[in-house]
Amino acid sequence: MRDTAEIVLGLLPADVQYADVRVVRRTHEQVLVEVDGPGEVGYDDSLGLGLRVVVGGHWGFAATYRLDPQGLDAVVRQAVGQARAAGGGGKVSLGQPVTTRDTWSSPMEVDPFTVALSTKLDLLAATVKEASTAGPLVQQIEASLDFYRDEKVFANTEGALIEQTLTESGGGLMVNAGNGDDLQRRSFPQGVPRQIRGQRGDFATAGFEHVLSLGLDQEAARIGSEAVALLSAPQCPDEITTLVASGNQLAMVLHECAGHPMEADRALGTEVSLAGGTYATPERRGTFRWGSPIVSAYADATIPGALGSFGYDDEGVRAQRTQLVKDGIFLGYMSGRESAAALGAESTGAARADGWQRLPLVRMTNICLEPGDSSLAEMIADTKHGVLVDTNRGFSIDDQRMSFRFATEVGWEIRDGKVGRLLKNCSYEGVTPQFWAGLDALGGPDEWKVHGVPSCNKGEPLQVAHVGHGTVPGRFRNVQVGR
Amino acid sequence: MSIDQAQIEQALEIVGEGTRLDVLGENADLLRYAESAITAQHSERRLRVRVRITRDGRAAAGTLETLNPQAVRTLAGRLTAALTELPPLPAQAEWGEAGHSARTARAEAPVIVPAPSVLESDPAVRHRWFARVRDGLDASMTLGGAIRYDVLDRVVADSDGLFRAETLTKASIQAIAKQDGRSASVKLVHWDADRIPVDEIPGRLREALMPLPGREPHHGTCRVLLKPQAVNSLIATYGYAALGANQYATGRSVVAGRMGERVVGELLTLVDDGGDPDGLPSGFDAEGNVRRRTTLIENGMLTGVVSDQRRAGLTDGVPTGHAVPDGWRFGGDPVPSHLLLSPGESTEDELLTECGSGLVVNRLDYLRVLHPKQTLVTGTTRDATYWAEDGKLVGWHPQVRFTFRMDEVLNAVLAVGSVRERCDQTFMESVVVPSLLIDAGPLVIP
Repeated sequence: MRDTAEIVLGLLPADVQYADVRVVRRTHEQVLVEVDGPGEVGYDDSLGLGLRVVVGGHWGFAATYRLDPQGLDAVVRQAVGQARAAGGGGKVSLGQPVTTRDTWSSPMEVDPFTVALSTKLDLLAATVKEASTAGPLVQQIEASLDFYRDEKVFANTEGALIEQTLTESGGGLMVNAGNGDDLQRRSFPQGVPRQIRGQRGDFATAGFEHVLSLGLDQEAARIGSEAVALLSAPQCPDEITTLVASGNQLAMVLHECAGHPMEADRALGTEVSLAGGTYATPERRGTFRWGSPIVSAYADATIPGALGSFGYDDEGVRAQRTQLVKDGIFLGYMSGRESAAALGAESTGAARADGWQRLPLVRMTNICLEPGDSSLAEMIADTKHGVLVDTNRGFSIDDQRMSFRFATEVGWEIRDGKVGRLLKNCSYEGVTPQFWAGLDALGGPDEWKVHGVPSCNKGEPLQVAHVGHGTVPGRFRNVQVGR
Repeated sequence: MSIDQAQIEQALEIVGEGTRLDVLGENADLLRYAESAITAQHSERRLRVRVRITRDGRAAAGTLETLNPQAVRTLAGRLTAALTELPPLPAQAEWGEAGHSARTARAEAPVIVPAPSVLESDPAVRHRWFARVRDGLDASMTLGGAIRYDVLDRVVADSDGLFRAETLTKASIQAIAKQDGRSASVKLVHWDADRIPVDEIPGRLREALMPLPGREPHHGTCRVLLKPQAVNSLIATYGYAALGANQYATGRSVVAGRMGERVVGELLTLVDDGGDPDGLPSGFDAEGNVRRRTTLIENGMLTGVVSDQRRAGLTDGVPTGHAVPDGWRFGGDPVPSHLLLSPGESTEDELLTECGSGLVVNRLDYLRVLHPKQTLVTGTTRDATYWAEDGKLVGWHPQVRFTFRMDEVLNAVLAVGSVRERCDQTFMESVVVPSLLIDAGPLVIP
């Protein structure tokens, strides 16, 4: 792979002002067991390269699976041809050169690709069996494990040469219960939409030890029982009330309200064709009140084991921590080299591509809340009337990342400081700065946990990123909840 | 066709009985722009070889980026070993023997003719398109969006002798114009780039950015005129959530058990037809099943669902040609792929007149399912959203978040437009829809 990268750089014509090449092999193993089906095993292997060039001040990008000499010649021709077609006269600013030469591997204890298939199947079968103890209203159970390995070589014309290996492991359980009139879903450890295979459950940049730590088989009976209980649970009332959200639930809220809007390319308008823009415009840095004074948030790609961690991004910039919100005030962006330069800054190391075939975009890494000084138990005890929600079921947010609605798989009423009845079909809505302004309590460091989300979509063509969110439970006042 | 038949046959021989290959040669070329300047150009070449082995009801699948015999042999070894460790198939009749083509191999798939205008893709053409749209806008407007050309070489073959091949072409242009904090968008898609009326786009955008006053939001319900791009999101999401055979059979669909009953307004007739040139045609699905024209809803009555081999029992024993690829990121169940909503008789002006006072929505964005059985979704309007009074557009309306049941909205259709637009979706190949006028009731502005 390293030789291939160096060969490609050697093929560049003289008018190329800058180029970088990524040679990437992605390996994916999936094991899935269903209660009503035969189960499946999948192995995916993809090897190719992506080449970015600047010619005449314009970008060109080409990607190919053909790594033979003809394929390499063709990819250079295509990338350069794309850039030349713009006619010259442009300008691309990338900030300081990237000249790093290094090797980096993500930490792991047990290589998941060496664990026997039978061990994985046994774990999933035990999980499904436990979930099925909830009775005949359980219609569907799916438990799955996914393992990814990315071997990446990055080289550029500025002298950088970086080799990285990232190993990711994750798993999840989904239970659907139905009684003919209603259908309810419970997932564990986090929302598992039936539709998306390969992206289910909680993931980490770690080995098989992460899967074992999830406790899929230990929690399965509870999840199954909750799915059945939801069928006869009362509907979440329509009211403005106090919302207590689990850390798991806040992960996706943070993702949508802070993660995406604080990606610099959105602020520069380059994602308008699909994702849209952002309320977090450059002139609002340092002054815009994003939330209550007790909330601070940051992006950190250096957290060991977190799903959004890496050694270097796909432009060769070292992983780092970036403060996004401090004491409720919006401070700045995650960025890549070009978007940082456009904002008069240096890259925060957040340019990542979904495999060799895609162009690096600004992608969130691990978006984290700084913990507070409360706890979930204290928040509930200190709430007279409210709703506790857990596990994302679906959501939508507008193209400026302001108006949102989140639905959760499960909720409970809170009455006089105690958790009460189970509630179904809970959802809540808000507008980003107003919602976060209502935050009056955050869980403490003991409750801080990183949730690995392997299904962040962005870009045209669509790219899927693996990201993490370090969160704690939080309490929000005056929130519209309901169906 | 970039895929060599001899290599396919060799791969089938290596893997052995019970094998299906779904091979895609993907060529995508893209020009992206923002703030009236080009921001990125892509040229992507992929070969995706999906191998699926089904033996004794057990299935294992894998994907390669090559048809190299050694790589195929290595994958085959892993998959074969995995099959021996999988549990046996439960004795349930509903699980058919997926992966075998015996029931469908004899049917002829329609021949799809790829468009030379896309096959002979040239980045200079995309630059000219961009320049024509940008230069046709007023100086105070900025342009964002993307122009994309796709050529897809497809082969589905199996060890039972099935071999189907086709080359599909698609070109699209999305143009989003902004002016004074307002935006308007146009997206045109066609299988033949030469038939995309690029020169009409600046005029449509200028007209959409009409200098009307902004107004305070209406609260409560009202009539809503959904223009084709908004109907695209609605119909595609409804079809995806409700009209697949597996959803129907497992009770997850809102229409489960209601075949022959009225499920939406009687003005609506919805078919799925991969062969209709009004859409983006494709002759067969990921199992090699011929895509059959399937009437899903006729005058509001549920008449069909779409199926693959596993769920063919619900469609007269023959799959309708809606199997999705292994590992498809939107799920494993058969879902509609080429929806066409029949046009009505109302012109756009007549729809607006009948709307009277109400909201006019050009796009429904980020429409997401909250409860599939209830078809409950939430999403927002995007780009040009107007308020109408007495059948005339009188002002720009702030963007609105709607949370609603799709079946209730489709039950409240007052009129259907006579002009349809060809659209696409990330989870559906094509959607052809007219405007719909929705009565007050199911759509509520908070």
